[in-house]
Amino acid sequence: MTAKAVRPVVSLENATKTYGGIAALAEANFELYPGEIHALVGENGAGKSTLCKLIAGVIAPSDGLLRVDGETVTFLAPKDASARGISMVYQETSLVPQLTVAQNIVLGRERAFNSVRKVRNAARQVLQRLNFKVDPSQLAGSLSAAKRQMVEIARSVLNEARVIILDEPTAALTPEETDHLFDLMKSLQRSGVAMIFISHALEEALSHADRISVLRNGRMMVTGPATDFDRSSLIRHMIGEDLNERGPAPAAAGAARSVVPVLRVENIRMGSIVNNMSFSIFPGEVTGIAGLIGSGRSEVAKVIMGHTKRNFGGGRIWLDGREVRYAIPAEAVADGIAYVSEDRKLDGFFDTLSVTENVGLGWLAKFGRRTLLAPFGRMHQVAREWEQRLSIRGIAANQPVLHLSGGNQQKVVIAKSLVQQPRLVIFDEPTRGVDVGAIAEIRQIIRSIAESGAGVILISSYLPEILDLSDRILVAKSGTIAAEFSRAEATAEKILHAAVH
Amino acid sequence: MNSTNAANAAAMTPTPRRGVGRKNMLERVVAVATLVLVVVFSFSIDGFATLGNLRVILSNSASLAILSCGMAVVIISRGLDLSLIAQMVAGATIFGILISSGVTAPAALLVAIVAMVVFGFLNAWLIAYVEIPAMLATLASSMFLVGLLRFAILRGEFLLLLPKSNPTVAFLAGDIVPGISMPVLLMVATLAATWFLLNRASVGRVVYAMGDNFQAARLAGLPVRTSTIVVYVFSAVTALIAGLIMAAASGAVDFRTVTNGTLLFDVILVVVLGGIPLRGGRGGVRNIVVGVALIAIMRNGMTLMDFTTQTQDMLKGLVLLTAIVTDNYLNPRDAETDTVGDL
Repeated sequence: MTAKAVRPVVSLENATKTYGGIAALAEANFELYPGEIHALVGENGAGKSTLCKLIAGVIAPSDGLLRVDGETVTFLAPKDASARGISMVYQETSLVPQLTVAQNIVLGRERAFNSVRKVRNAARQVLQRLNFKVDPSQLAGSLSAAKRQMVEIARSVLNEARVIILDEPTAALTPEETDHLFDLMKSLQRSGVAMIFISHALEEALSHADRISVLRNGRMMVTGPATDFDRSSLIRHMIGEDLNERGPAPAAAGAARSVVPVLRVENIRMGSIVNNMSFSIFPGEVTGIAGLIGSGRSEVAKVIMGHTKRNFGGGRIWLDGREVRYAIPAEAVADGIAYVSEDRKLDGFFDTLSVTENVGLGWLAKFGRRTLLAPFGRMHQVAREWEQRLSIRGIAANQPVLHLSGGNQQKVVIAKSLVQQPRLVIFDEPTRGVDVGAIAEIRQIIRSIAESGAGVILISSYLPEILDLSDRILVAKSGTIAAEFSRAEATAEKILHAAVH
Repeated sequence: MNSTNAANAAAMTPTPRRGVGRKNMLERVVAVATLVLVVVFSFSIDGFATLGNLRVILSNSASLAILSCGMAVVIISRGLDLSLIAQMVAGATIFGILISSGVTAPAALLVAIVAMVVFGFLNAWLIAYVEIPAMLATLASSMFLVGLLRFAILRGEFLLLLPKSNPTVAFLAGDIVPGISMPVLLMVATLAATWFLLNRASVGRVVYAMGDNFQAARLAGLPVRTSTIVVYVFSAVTALIAGLIMAAASGAVDFRTVTNGTLLFDVILVVVLGGIPLRGGRGGVRNIVVGVALIAIMRNGMTLMDFTTQTQDMLKGLVLLTAIVTDNYLNPRDAETDTVGDL
């Protein structure tokens, strides 16, 4: 759609960025034309975020040139970039939670004396123009992830941005919100705004972008029109080899379902998020819980673990037919429940400790509680065993987990739970922020846990994952289980319909 | 089982796991600064570089080092014990009152230890079970403890005099063998105990995990509550040891050490200067030693030069600022190395 004669609005020439001797981005050439939607794909650590941060002025290139409208520029701070009409929507949103939506939209551009009414009206105009249903006087902290992202986009539009960079915009969105986001991007595109978006979902890049660039290990591998690529060719460029993505097919559904549920949950209530949720989990099968973000899936998992407290008189939980009520997660772990967190950096792993330490601590939590001396030998041995079983690849033995790729980090979190030999594992968004190669491995791990006889709860917003892995699918909607499907009858349409209506 | 564990542990010495990312730069800066000060003082002050003065430095810094051990363990577990000095004074008061009224030293010591364990347990209970932030819980308990003791035991006074002639007091202040005083011995013992707790005991692993990521430690099922109890009881016991040393050396228990706050800030200063971040998760005995060395040598040198306390405070403040600025300059932070909650 873009004639090559048009001058690129932003271009990078041989841009290199090194962190402590390691090149996060090496001699990358990149061009962005007005009115194009450009997808950046690549595994975690391939240099996508680095490239975007260079353009947005968050970091300066160690070497190479950045041109805006053909003219070489040096950005010292993000505000220099936004003065040139470049703005970035971050993965972890950069709104001030204590301010209202309107205040956030004008943030950084306020006059010395602000009129609350004028600010709110300006915000309302922008939000309505973009067809966002967000109240400008609401506090930003009370918004959902999708709405926060909308507000950030509105801020970029109000700043008359010509280039908008979106870092994994769809990671936290439901399918409907994702569609809305891409509609919006298309309408911004018609007004001449150029957009870069990073995505792990290759389908999005293929179906919504005009051009796609693939990065691998800090190098720009290929750039071309989206129509020139398909899924397998993208993956080949991303990891340099072909990949067998299909996990093993689920065992013949319900062939030998145990009658006794490993977990039974009845009428759980927690705050206003979980309302009378009831379900049962059977050993040896994967029970998928689909639903929108905020439908109470993670919250009920945390209540089961004893991490958060249910309401007074807010329901009952049975584990293997025995009623349980945990005050802290340690009791749940001792009984054989493990929870793999949806946000591994927040509460999943110990980021400055090594892989061995992380996995060893998981073992210590269940089996080493009574020992006075730290059983270093056992901890190392168990950790090494699981590192091999899940093929966790680090660069050096004592490297902190923080420096591993997303996929390896997630495998560490999973290993940390599996060393506890749990009878019930709760996976909360197990493949979020994980590179393509590792996703397949993690799915295989999940299946093999179920086959070994443990109960598995799989909470995921990514429908293909739920459909691929689950033996039985529950759909959560505003804090209750709205529908249940067997593997045979479930389809993406049915699940979405149950989750929304 | 135990013997194989021990053999394994011996074969596989635990590898250093701290100081990643933001390296132990501050520790090195402070160590270098300390060496420079030693050289400068040796040349400029008569009698600084003598064996006698070394003994003075060691004896005088014993209580600071012991308190810092307690504080460091608490801080590594992402806690804070603001009641440390109050506990120190409380322990010394209980012990002092008991021996003044004729109770035998071992019995008095036992009562004091039990009291400290109970008090540390109460702190930990407030923090781990009632889930009050450590800073508020220990601030409140500190006020309560000082108020209670001054009301119930001292009747409003702020000074409790100890009989210097009492053999127990003399024993605590004196030399064990010529050249090694009781305070120094207790300091070494406390440092060794801290090393053991952090590097060899199971609780130590949990302490580092809690400091690194408390939520993750809790969710993984690590015994965070038990470990919190161990940590605060440990700090209460270090406070008692420091209190005994200080009371024996000066022949009095002075409640003004709590109310003027300098000692508490000195202890936190030692921990931070040694390179233990206030968010926890990193650091060890070496950091405590480095921090104490700098403060002890500065204090000694400045006292020999007849600086007033006010000047000494001013210089200590400057040293802290300089150390942190140097650390930031040598080891700048960026988005890649920053972790949540770093101070």
